[in-house]
Amino acid sequence: MTLVQLSLILLMFMIAVLASGIWISIGLALTGLLAMVLTTNVPIGSVLATTVWSASASWTLAALPLFIWMGEILFRTKLSEEMFRGLAPWLQWLPGRLLHVNVVGCGIFAAVSGSSAATCATIGKIALPELERRGYDKDMALGSLAGSGTLGLLIPPSIPMVVYAVTANVSVLQVFLAGFLPGAMVMGLYSGYIMIWSLLHPDKTPPRDPRQSFLVKLRESAKLIPTLLLILGVFLSLILGIATATECAAWGVFGALMLAAWSGTLNWATFSDSLMSAARLTGMIMLILAGAAFTTAAMAYTGIPAALAGWVEAKQLSPAMLIAALTVMYIILGCLIDGISMIVLTAVIVLPMVQKAGFDLIWFGVYLIILVEMAQITPPVGFNLFVLQNMSGRDTFTVARAAFPFFLLLNVAVVLIYLFPEIVLYLPKKVFPD
Amino acid sequence: MIEQRGILRRVLDGTYLLGGILAALCLFAIFVLMVVMSAGREVGLNIPAGDDFAAFAMAALAFLGLAYVFKSGEMIRVGFLLERLHGGVRRAVEIACLSVGFAFISYFAWSAFTFARDSWRLHDMSSGVIAIPLWIPQTAMVAGLVLLAIAMLDELLIVLSGRKPTYEKEPPKTAEELIERVAQGGGV
Repeated sequence: MTLVQLSLILLMFMIAVLASGIWISIGLALTGLLAMVLTTNVPIGSVLATTVWSASASWTLAALPLFIWMGEILFRTKLSEEMFRGLAPWLQWLPGRLLHVNVVGCGIFAAVSGSSAATCATIGKIALPELERRGYDKDMALGSLAGSGTLGLLIPPSIPMVVYAVTANVSVLQVFLAGFLPGAMVMGLYSGYIMIWSLLHPDKTPPRDPRQSFLVKLRESAKLIPTLLLILGVFLSLILGIATATECAAWGVFGALMLAAWSGTLNWATFSDSLMSAARLTGMIMLILAGAAFTTAAMAYTGIPAALAGWVEAKQLSPAMLIAALTVMYIILGCLIDGISMIVLTAVIVLPMVQKAGFDLIWFGVYLIILVEMAQITPPVGFNLFVLQNMSGRDTFTVARAAFPFFLLLNVAVVLIYLFPEIVLYLPKKVFPD
Repeated sequence: MIEQRGILRRVLDGTYLLGGILAALCLFAIFVLMVVMSAGREVGLNIPAGDDFAAFAMAALAFLGLAYVFKSGEMIRVGFLLERLHGGVRRAVEIACLSVGFAFISYFAWSAFTFARDSWRLHDMSSGVIAIPLWIPQTAMVAGLVLLAIAMLDELLIVLSGRKPTYEKEPPKTAEELIERVAQGGGV
């Protein structure tokens, strides 16, 4: 059997298994199992147990559940209301007015949460009805919220970034650092688009809210100070390199618990709920990672990843062509499966390939996260669409259409980081000069 | 065999939940360990082999809660084809998925068991300051996988007896319900 035949068999098998509705982690592991059955006589069970054990008994990986828990705690505070009331008075003067609350609010929440759906739901819970009540354009409110919610993945801490770093065997800290500037850039793109749109449609922006005195504004915003301090703490400990990602995550949990206690939302119910939720989400992600760890080991026996990387090298495919082809593949994939599965399903094949083509794995991580962001807002399976569809009572495709301009802006972001990789690599290089 | 609200039902559900609670406790332990290690370094307090303990707690957290995750319907699958099927066809696909899942997880659990047994026979130790026999933390992996295999068999029997699988959730009807679901970790 040639490598091409083997690759095709494995690919068809994986598509069939996943489409049948088998749990992704199991489908992934079954593909690895088949690869080993077809190519080696190595005892499979022992490879399975050994790779999965060494992949999961990992100290660096502990950052994942801690960051998840931190987000779960903050999700249960009053941050949602405080965010809208604290931000609204300051953003009135911009063209597009309160639509910017979506972008800035999501950006801030993204800096304490690693999840796109949670970011979208937290900010949308208050912002969506408030914007509607004031008569803002519905499509614009929905679209900007769907798009901005995905910042939860790009602005650290970020759950898929930890998953990527572990899968690609690169430093979590460096991928996090690489996410800050692109995150700010995407916020800029979103806000810029909202401004241009409002200037073109002056009739669709409602009048400003009645003016509040400076002191009232300040008092409303003061409630956001603890959150901003928490963000600053996480950011500084990452930038200054004083803590590992895992320690940083533990202190983040500590800060989140303090913040919840201070706002009066910390009680036994919210504490145990957040802990149990975090444990469940971790279990789900860990089984996928376990399946991926085994499949990666299994694929190494087949020689497919190395052959494919060699092929790309021999073809002299230009980096731009490669990235364009990958982008199309990931956008299609992103319509069908969730972001985390998207990362681990493709890592074993794609990573050796892009490395051979001369891409930095940290840069590629951020690129991949932006594509995962797109996946969150593309139908039929996009989690932010699903969240907003339920919150607004409109159907998926209406929400998807409203989110479409923001999907295009994410494509612009991909082009920008391709043309100016320094946007991604500046901070990691600054902190880790080698 | 498995009756609604029967004693076996309650024992099984209780065990899955217990696994979930143990996983949550592992998470809490990791948190305390990391904070104490990080703060302790500043004042010269050192937890021997703290990194090892955090890694073992991480592995235990990953596996002990699996059955509970599976039962609560949070283990992801590609659902858009399945959701378009109805009646007998859907039931047949569901039975096939559960059978394959049960078979694979059983094999996985067995492999993990032989792995831990070998660690025990060969006296494998962790390489940290405190040497811990590796079979002890590895037992958590075996236990979690065995529990997941039981949960899958449990669901298989439920579907075979003509009822709806427990993990299948109705789509949320109100915004509050959805936020509640997101709060319970319904997606990243």
